[in-house]
Amino acid sequence: MSLAAEAFVSQIAGCRGPERTISRIKQSAEPWPENATLYQPLREDQILLSDCASSLAVQAYLRMCNLPVHVSCRSNAEYMSPSGKVPFVHVGNQVVSELGPIVQFTKAKGHSLSDGLDDVQRAEMKAYMELVNNMLLTAELYIQWCDDTTATEISRPRYSSPYSWPLNQILAYQKQWEVRRKMNAIGWAGKSLEQVYEDVSQCCQALSQRLGTQPYFFNKQPTELDALVFGHLFTILTTRLTSDELGEKIKSYSNLLAFCRRIEQSYFEDSQAGSSSRGYSKGPSLF
Amino acid sequence: MAAPSQMATSQLYCWEGDWDLPSVDNECLIVLAYAKFAGAPLKLHKIGNPWRSPTGSLPALKTRKNGSLSQPSDIIIHLRKQKYNADFDLSAKEEADTLAFISLLEEKLMPALVYTRWIDPKNYVEVTRRWHAKHAPFPLNFFLPGSIQRQQLERLRLVRGDEELTAGEELELYCDFFFGDSPSPLDSFVFGYLHLKSLDNLSHFCSNILALYFPSEGREGFSRKVSSQPEGGDADNEPGKRRKQLLSVLVALGAMLSYALLTGIVAIQHVKQEDVGCKDEDRTPVA
Repeated sequence: MSLAAEAFVSQIAGCRGPERTISRIKQSAEPWPENATLYQPLREDQILLSDCASSLAVQAYLRMCNLPVHVSCRSNAEYMSPSGKVPFVHVGNQVVSELGPIVQFTKAKGHSLSDGLDDVQRAEMKAYMELVNNMLLTAELYIQWCDDTTATEISRPRYSSPYSWPLNQILAYQKQWEVRRKMNAIGWAGKSLEQVYEDVSQCCQALSQRLGTQPYFFNKQPTELDALVFGHLFTILTTRLTSDELGEKIKSYSNLLAFCRRIEQSYFEDSQAGSSSRGYSKGPSLF
Repeated sequence: MAAPSQMATSQLYCWEGDWDLPSVDNECLIVLAYAKFAGAPLKLHKIGNPWRSPTGSLPALKTRKNGSLSQPSDIIIHLRKQKYNADFDLSAKEEADTLAFISLLEEKLMPALVYTRWIDPKNYVEVTRRWHAKHAPFPLNFFLPGSIQRQQLERLRLVRGDEELTAGEELELYCDFFFGDSPSPLDSFVFGYLHLKSLDNLSHFCSNILALYFPSEGREGFSRKVSSQPEGGDADNEPGKRRKQLLSVLVALGAMLSYALLTGIVAIQHVKQEDVGCKDEDRTPVA
């Protein structure tokens, strides 16, 4: 047991993620290059709801910061990523994955959206970002992998589509097993689908109450919280799953819908043909 | 208002208290604090053996109609549904903030606390394992701490967050009770996670709650509102303790008596009487 504890301690000490990355970057504060690339799984056939939401959040954030990035789709993006999660960006000679570390990374390069916030607002922003991760992202993972219908009809076929038999079966079941273990560890395994929808509704209610009638969560300027919320809500609204209930939960909050439309029009109008629900090319058309 | 009789039969099972706290476990503290704030009448059972709880884990709430609940958030939702609500006075925005900060705490502070109690080798061996082994009944005390540690290690591995201490600084900004003068569910969560003192504001917050709502821990249990029966809680343990004491005294007495018999201490008394008799006979002829 002590060996396991030692391994864990060394892992915690070794994976100081953002701080280490920042210290390395501070030594070479290069400007943002033109050829920065964002990697995600294949858009049409492979990417799933949760990964698409995370990827869209990062893209929204980078557009809000006015940092150009080229999106590249690879079937093995998950394995290329340093943390095993998508999306990740390749900037200069650094590779950074997930929204949190990417925000720190861009801050070290001098681009930040949350500089104008005071301490209280920054604490609130972090809390709301955790709320989205805790509830929305976990709910997405639950629906994808713990709901048998969705897992069988959508998630497993899509996840393993680039591979041939028997690798596709092995990888799909391995991923499903891993996600189910995580759900078990955080206490979501005992929840029913109805309870998960209820949690999503509660989360959306909290977001809607916080947003109120403001254009963005912190009034005038968008922050990383706006990017994260947009990424998740927009993806849920534009993705067809086995049931429409998730989308319906969000549609009942009109200020959230208006918020998504506003961000889409301000930051994504160059790359999309048509208006919100179906024409957006970045949303996967599942099922 | 819900019928009091419905609540009166709800029973709450928690880990025992120690070190000036009503309970040694974070999640139990959360539930206890919320029940106190909301004035919910619960029958409290403080035990050291999780197998005696209805769900096999602690904390657990055994209700009359809805079975047994074990996640702290489920328990709090149940109490709210029974109209024992600690957040009537919160505005919509404050309720949303509550949800967000609870997520922040669970995401950032929980791993740090679990690590401190269960993974850190020195702490685990000297404090946690010793406490659990002392408070669990005979055959269980050998393997219970180890099995809980394995569970916690697994949970932490799946949910791990990197920046362990920065979340505490975010909460520094909120002194006293978070929203107004009367406590809310957020306060119960914060209290549950922060009983390990590290920052001045926060330790002040904890001692406030302890002084106001848990005036005498351990022996007498709760005061007034929580119509628990702490004698009932203690009585569950007392027969066990008394039985052990009686047994050990009996064993000691039995050992001493058998030693006395086997080595002939009792026989020596017989020899002494004969000696006395012989001495008299000896003396008579001389005289």
